[in-house]
Amino acid sequence: MERMRITLDVNGVRYPIEVEPRKLLSDALREDCRLTGTHVGCEHGVCGACTVWIDGHPARACLTFAAQMEGHAITTIEGIGAGDRLTPLQQALHEHHGLQCGFCTPGIVMTLGNFLDGHPDPSDDEIREALSGHLCRCTGYHNIVAAVRDAAARMRGHHVDGGDAAA
Amino acid sequence: MPQPDFRYIGTPVPRREDARLLTGHGRYVDDIEIPGVLHACFVRSPHAHARILSIDASAARAMPGVVTIVTGHELAKWTTRHRMAPPIEGLHPVEMDTLPIDRVRFQGDPVACVVATDRYVAEDACEQVQVDYEMLAPVTDMHQALDPAAPRVDETLPSNLISHQHFDHGDVASRKSCAHRVVEASFSQHRQTHLPIETRGCAAVWDEGRAHLTMHIGCQVPHPMRTQLAARLRLPETQVTIVSPDVGGAFGQKIALYREELTVAALARELRRPVRWREDRLENLLAASNSREQLCRTRAAVTADGKLLALELDVLEDFGAYCFYPANYLARVVAMILTGPYKVQDYAFDVKVVLTNKCGNGPMRAPMAITSWVIEGTMDAIARELGLDPVEVRRRNMLETADLPYTMPTGEVLSDVTPRATLEGALQAIGYDAFRARQREARTQGRCLGLGICTVVESTTYGSAFYKAAGIPGSGHESAWIRVEPSGVVNASTGLGATGQGYETSLAHAVAEGLGVDTGRIRILLGNTDIAPYGMGSRGARGGTAGGGTLYLCALDARAKVLAIAAKSLGLPDAGALRMVDGRVECHDAAGWIDTGITLASVARTAYLDPLALPDGMAPGLDFSRSYDPPPMTYSNATHACEVEVDVQTGGVRILRYLAAEDCGTVLSPVVVEGQQHGAIAMGLSNALLEHVVYDETGQNLSGSLADYLVATACEIPPIELLPMHTPSTRTPAGLKGMAEGGVMGAIGAIMNAVNDALAPFGVTVDRQPLTPMYLRALVRGKSPFPAETR
Repeated sequence: MERMRITLDVNGVRYPIEVEPRKLLSDALREDCRLTGTHVGCEHGVCGACTVWIDGHPARACLTFAAQMEGHAITTIEGIGAGDRLTPLQQALHEHHGLQCGFCTPGIVMTLGNFLDGHPDPSDDEIREALSGHLCRCTGYHNIVAAVRDAAARMRGHHVDGGDAAA
Repeated sequence: MPQPDFRYIGTPVPRREDARLLTGHGRYVDDIEIPGVLHACFVRSPHAHARILSIDASAARAMPGVVTIVTGHELAKWTTRHRMAPPIEGLHPVEMDTLPIDRVRFQGDPVACVVATDRYVAEDACEQVQVDYEMLAPVTDMHQALDPAAPRVDETLPSNLISHQHFDHGDVASRKSCAHRVVEASFSQHRQTHLPIETRGCAAVWDEGRAHLTMHIGCQVPHPMRTQLAARLRLPETQVTIVSPDVGGAFGQKIALYREELTVAALARELRRPVRWREDRLENLLAASNSREQLCRTRAAVTADGKLLALELDVLEDFGAYCFYPANYLARVVAMILTGPYKVQDYAFDVKVVLTNKCGNGPMRAPMAITSWVIEGTMDAIARELGLDPVEVRRRNMLETADLPYTMPTGEVLSDVTPRATLEGALQAIGYDAFRARQREARTQGRCLGLGICTVVESTTYGSAFYKAAGIPGSGHESAWIRVEPSGVVNASTGLGATGQGYETSLAHAVAEGLGVDTGRIRILLGNTDIAPYGMGSRGARGGTAGGGTLYLCALDARAKVLAIAAKSLGLPDAGALRMVDGRVECHDAAGWIDTGITLASVARTAYLDPLALPDGMAPGLDFSRSYDPPPMTYSNATHACEVEVDVQTGGVRILRYLAAEDCGTVLSPVVVEGQQHGAIAMGLSNALLEHVVYDETGQNLSGSLADYLVATACEIPPIELLPMHTPSTRTPAGLKGMAEGGVMGAIGAIMNAVNDALAPFGVTVDRQPLTPMYLRALVRGKSPFPAETR
């Protein structure tokens, strides 16, 4: 199949790449941009592991063709946070034991990071609804919900100490 | 929680593995860059049962980018067949080709492998491989499988009944004849699959100069995997290295050496080029591994006041088409530990396992998952039939501390378990009496609330003596090494395979405790067979007791040598008055413990760089290795309580409250253990409510996407309350017992019992899963509830 030359803008870096029109964004990010933090769990848009931001909005990289992304700004898990510093959400996931195998985690960080921007004080039901586009087979979601709640509090300026992970 | 004098064990330290996983810098198999790697893709059977007449790969082979296409014929030359023939009475030996040659046995059976320069090209080429099949009648139902006229799944066997065991202890018949009643109950568990979010996959790199294979593969059991892979490739174990990097979940699916993985390894050697394979989700759902699909029936002989006199169990399991494990393996554990929390000596079981034209079975987080539902559902059935309170029936039969150690009728010995304590703990926490009042009140308003209680006795760590008694070749031991480096930092390793459990954190606690150094200076190295000692890996719930226990013992050896060196430096005759805390050696005198100024780092320098200063006859260095064989079996226990509301108009089940009181012995890391409890409970609830591998009567798999195979999201799983009621084991290092499967067992039982409790006014019972709205509606349709005061 004929290849196309496109330029992907990922985490503020421009990647000139050659891809077949059918190449998925998830594969292009992983193989052509060598950014393997975006994980592929189902390739049919259900599990949420491949979630990235396209122009600031969460989207499934496995349901997007790389060739469609010319002129769009993509953010992946590698572009989250500043240098070595974790974001409040990442830090809260760590402290509340909100991840185990970690395979679904980058997608959750992308979706819930965006969610917290629009929901500074979410209820648990709202958090669970936002999280419901992601399958996690390890954690039972309990500690993820606690972490998101705590991250919201931190971002509002209150730090909820301890939490379930320290109980 | 009551833990004896531990400084490091039991402290809630956040996990060591998180930073890389949170930032996208984990390294899962598919993240490993391999220059020049080729991509494998499998052509799979569209039929449940068919003869392979011919395979024409010429069109596919001509496609640009296609390197080779191989079938079972090539693999038969390059590899040995798989033989599963443990000396177990009633179990037939079976063999399996690396890829099928003559016949396919389920939809998804791999018949050819395409290797190409690119995954997309490999998939295109797979579509061009023409396979001619002659369709055969399939066996798609376990009852049909037992029909003498049924087609045979494996023609080398006399019938589809691959395994049959019967067991009898005491005098069940006479107990039944003098019983007030014999209560019968039935439990049908549906077919499910593990569904790790990272599918299977591997990357095989052949080093022609060294004739060495490096196999990158997400794996629970690196060393047993190496042994098998080397043998099937006819390579010595010195010529194979297994490297298991970060693994995106396994739950039992990443133990066996699968045919696809062996094919990829053989291809890398034959092509002298690296080859990788990443299973897609459709393949994972169709062809990785299934589990469960068991029908259990119990007959309980009871007195009028609910005392259990004797128990009979029948199990029938649908094992699918192929045996990657002994076919009796899963069902036998159910039968072995069924009586669990209860006192009964007259017990009999009959366990049949059949082959069908479905994906083969393997152990899935709690191979014996159905056990607690069966015994606790039987307790509820007794209470229902005799008009007794289900909690009272449990209390009348439950093991008390004074009964321990208790030899179960199957010969399994229970000790250091506390089922009565967790039962009472859970009842108190859920507010049992208050719930019954609320339930009565709700029923007057037409609302169906239910409370399910499920006490779990979980077999966790299987020692060698267990395997020997079960007739299974193999060992239950684990191995470890610890090396204090010259700078005083600590590397340690064991044969476990990490798949997300947080071993780098929890095992560091075991080393820290044994040695006397803080966890921050300890690094746990896992998953590389050139580095790790030969151990049996991760399965069941053996990680804590076998892996953690071995490391703890090894660390005690290390501490003894460190303190002996310190004693010599201090001019003391022995180390009796010394201890190490946070890497500093302290000496006890009249004033208490005082710092000696000697550190682990200074001792390490002496050990490596100034060996002449060591005590006479002591070898230089601080390098330790150790193996440990746990008791025949360790047990943990728990009681789960689940409150639900069933909407009888829609058949929907809403979980209002969920809690579990658990005793899993000494807890290495409470962070990790609580996470395991949450995860196991969620998996059990998801299993019972939603997940279902569906085959139609022709053997077509109807659940090939995540829109069909449903897994619980955050909206279906409730908040989970945990009551730690841990008591240390007296029989293991540091009092460890092991855990992480019991949550599944408890959740399955608790939700089923809760729904039955809710539906009691309708006089119906649920006896199969999943608990779909359609199923519940069918049960209550046309029925009106009894008057509210029936309970």
